[in-house]
Amino acid sequence: MKVGLQNNLRLGIVFGIVMIFLMLIGFNLIAANLIGSFFNTGDADVLNMLLFIGLVGLWLGATAAKQDNLWLSAAINGAIAGAVCGLGLAGMVLLLGSLFEAGVTLSTYLAQLVPSTMKAILFGAAAWQAALVNWVIFALAGALGGILSYLLRLEGWRKRLSSIWVRQRASTSQQPIIQAIRSYPRSRMIIYGLGLVVLFILPLGLSQYRNYIIILTGIYVLLGLGLNIVVGLAGLLDLGYVAFFAIGAYTAALLTAPQPHHLQWSFWVALPIAVVLASLAGVALGVPVLRMRGDYLAIVTLGFGEIIRILLKSDLLTSFTRGPQGVNTIGGPDFHGLSSGVGFVYLIFLSILLIILVTTRLQNSRIGRAWVAMREDETVARAMGIDVVKHKLLAFAIGAAFAGLAGALFASQNRSIGPEDFALMVSINVVALIIVGGMGSIPGVIAGAFVLKGLPEILRQLQDYRILTFGALLVVMMLIRPEGLIPSRRRRLEIHEDEPELTEGTTAVEGGKA
Amino acid sequence: MIIGVLFIFYLVYRIYQLAAHPAYGPDTWLRFAISGLILGSVYALIAIGYTLVYGILFMINFAHGDVMMIGAFGGFFVFEALDAIHVPSTSNPHLTFLNAYPVIAVLLAFIVGIGIASLTGYFLERIAYRPLRRAPRLVPLISAIGASIFLENAGQLLFGTQRRDYANPTILERGTGWNLAIGSGTVVVPYTGVFTVILSCLLMIGLYQLVRRTRLGRAMRAVAENKPVASLMGIDVDSVISRTFIISGALAGAAGVMWGIHLGLVFSYVGFIPGIKAFTAAVLGGIGNIPGAMLGGLFLGGVETLGPPILGIGFQLKDVIAFGILVLVLIFRPTGILGEVLTEEKV
Repeated sequence: MKVGLQNNLRLGIVFGIVMIFLMLIGFNLIAANLIGSFFNTGDADVLNMLLFIGLVGLWLGATAAKQDNLWLSAAINGAIAGAVCGLGLAGMVLLLGSLFEAGVTLSTYLAQLVPSTMKAILFGAAAWQAALVNWVIFALAGALGGILSYLLRLEGWRKRLSSIWVRQRASTSQQPIIQAIRSYPRSRMIIYGLGLVVLFILPLGLSQYRNYIIILTGIYVLLGLGLNIVVGLAGLLDLGYVAFFAIGAYTAALLTAPQPHHLQWSFWVALPIAVVLASLAGVALGVPVLRMRGDYLAIVTLGFGEIIRILLKSDLLTSFTRGPQGVNTIGGPDFHGLSSGVGFVYLIFLSILLIILVTTRLQNSRIGRAWVAMREDETVARAMGIDVVKHKLLAFAIGAAFAGLAGALFASQNRSIGPEDFALMVSINVVALIIVGGMGSIPGVIAGAFVLKGLPEILRQLQDYRILTFGALLVVMMLIRPEGLIPSRRRRLEIHEDEPELTEGTTAVEGGKA
Repeated sequence: MIIGVLFIFYLVYRIYQLAAHPAYGPDTWLRFAISGLILGSVYALIAIGYTLVYGILFMINFAHGDVMMIGAFGGFFVFEALDAIHVPSTSNPHLTFLNAYPVIAVLLAFIVGIGIASLTGYFLERIAYRPLRRAPRLVPLISAIGASIFLENAGQLLFGTQRRDYANPTILERGTGWNLAIGSGTVVVPYTGVFTVILSCLLMIGLYQLVRRTRLGRAMRAVAENKPVASLMGIDVDSVISRTFIISGALAGAAGVMWGIHLGLVFSYVGFIPGIKAFTAAVLGGIGNIPGAMLGGLFLGGVETLGPPILGIGFQLKDVIAFGILVLVLIFRPTGILGEVLTEEKV
């Protein structure tokens, strides 16, 4: 009982802190709007705010009463947790409300609390009333949530439902048609082929903005596939990957733009030059860092990336790269008969397909196996006769070449680039996307790029909260599924090394890295 | 190797040239050196936080710079709040608490800044790092990056995008200080700068004593050396790690308030660049090594302000010099200036 009480207090405090934080960043209003559009109860009015608080209270109560077997104790536990959470929230509402009523402009300090938001938080009433309402609702909703969770568990409906679901799945997968498709050797090819056809028809029907999102995501897929070779296969953590992206983009830009060099070459000539230059830069970075591993490598490459960006911005190279202004009116490829947006989507698709082809061929080749061996243990790999220097440089060069390609495409798509397009954040995004997607796995990289770059663009409603959610998502992802969304088999085994049920049936369990 | 030798030759040549045809008078050099020292002492404080955590967990606490930002905002709000409390006196009817009791105000700012920064550090470890203790090394790094992004944007949502000015008490007004007459010009030794350097020295000495002399310090060193053995000796490893994060958060918070008091501007990304610089400093000094972090911080501060004029390039490129030195040190002496030789396992 005492442990239960302590847990409830802790739960209430955690929920209270989160609720206060959400209130301070003005999320309540957004949530109320969402609830309003969901239940059709109109825009953010008092009812929606109350609904939001009530729903959170229900959730809290249900969590607090998770283990109670009596309806009364479930209700009491839920109510206690709710009351603790509500007390904290009510205190904050009272404090902010009385400051607001005293005429302090809160938004000079807490940017989201403009007067209209404050009014909504106070339900249009006085501060003490609003605080009281908050507290009472949380306690009541907590108790209700506790009872609800007790009732729901009572029926055992969840177990029944999941057993039905499992049975259903088992029976469908045993159906003759699915069996037949699965056993037919070409079915995989046919499904991929159909997917490709859909992909190539899709851009024609989409709006320009949607196509732009596809292009952006595609560029990140290219970057992710390139970094996947360096980090995922060869195990060299590169946090300065944006440097090669920048080199590719600036090469293409300077060669095709009228300013500052009056070259205006064709995009198709500039593209291979950009790729070659980027991969040369990859080798140039690779040589000095050959002996480094792990975090040291990460920090040196990070420094390299920053150096490139600062040099691009500096006065030293202004006559060459136009400094902070960046390069404008960059030439792009000419698509005969296609609108440039759709044509570009095709170009991106083709590049991705090409790179996927190259990557899969590399992955299953002697070189790919050498990379994996090097990643697992460099000393052993060397003892096995693998030329570590050659393979490391090769990984850097190929990874950089892909980034150069992505950069050239980015420059010609954007038509204008500046040094700030190549901030450290790009490198971090790319690392994040291959890890969220699943390291060493091509479908994983595509999924990661879509989740981290595509989804935020689509969810524009939550625009202010996008990057915040991105950060939180990265942490949560690492906590609950560190191997990524679609991991490669090897990686999954590495992460779940000590969990026997997952490694069951495999004879060769990979040795983990120290 | 060749690049390194060429670089040293160029350096010697530049110093010779500067001695022959001085570009700046001695007063300017002194000014550069002073600002380098001040900046360096702040970097050193942040760098210690990186080194403490790295020494124990072998992970880069990427969000450390953002913990500093939280501390800076804590101090900012204390100053703002105290500036709003009026303490009318006969001589000055507009006197506020901030100027009436500046010592208490500064003390309060540091207490609040350090307090919320160490809380942030504690929760950061509890939520984002502790569950990942046994995961491969990339996993906590990504988690740290996520936490950093979260903190930066939470700061932006809470406090807005504009840069805010620290309202220092008048005795610590920025830009005022002792005037020294050197050669043809005068050099201002800013009060805020002297305050920053002294305070950060005190904190560093305190920390060093804590790690060397106290029971907690011994436990921290034992955990850094070998976690399983330390736990066999009866040390609660989790609690030691928690306290390490609290201490490193506290130092970052103090650095944040100093940053605010000396440089004045705070915004939600204020911790990012100093964070990276301080990590550089920690690596320069030999990561995991506390005196190394102090030395690295001071060295980096000096390089940043004295490097560009010595090499004869613009101040825009100071970060290039800082990172360039980092790269050179890691290539030629990967263990840093004072670093021990790390075993394979740690690197």
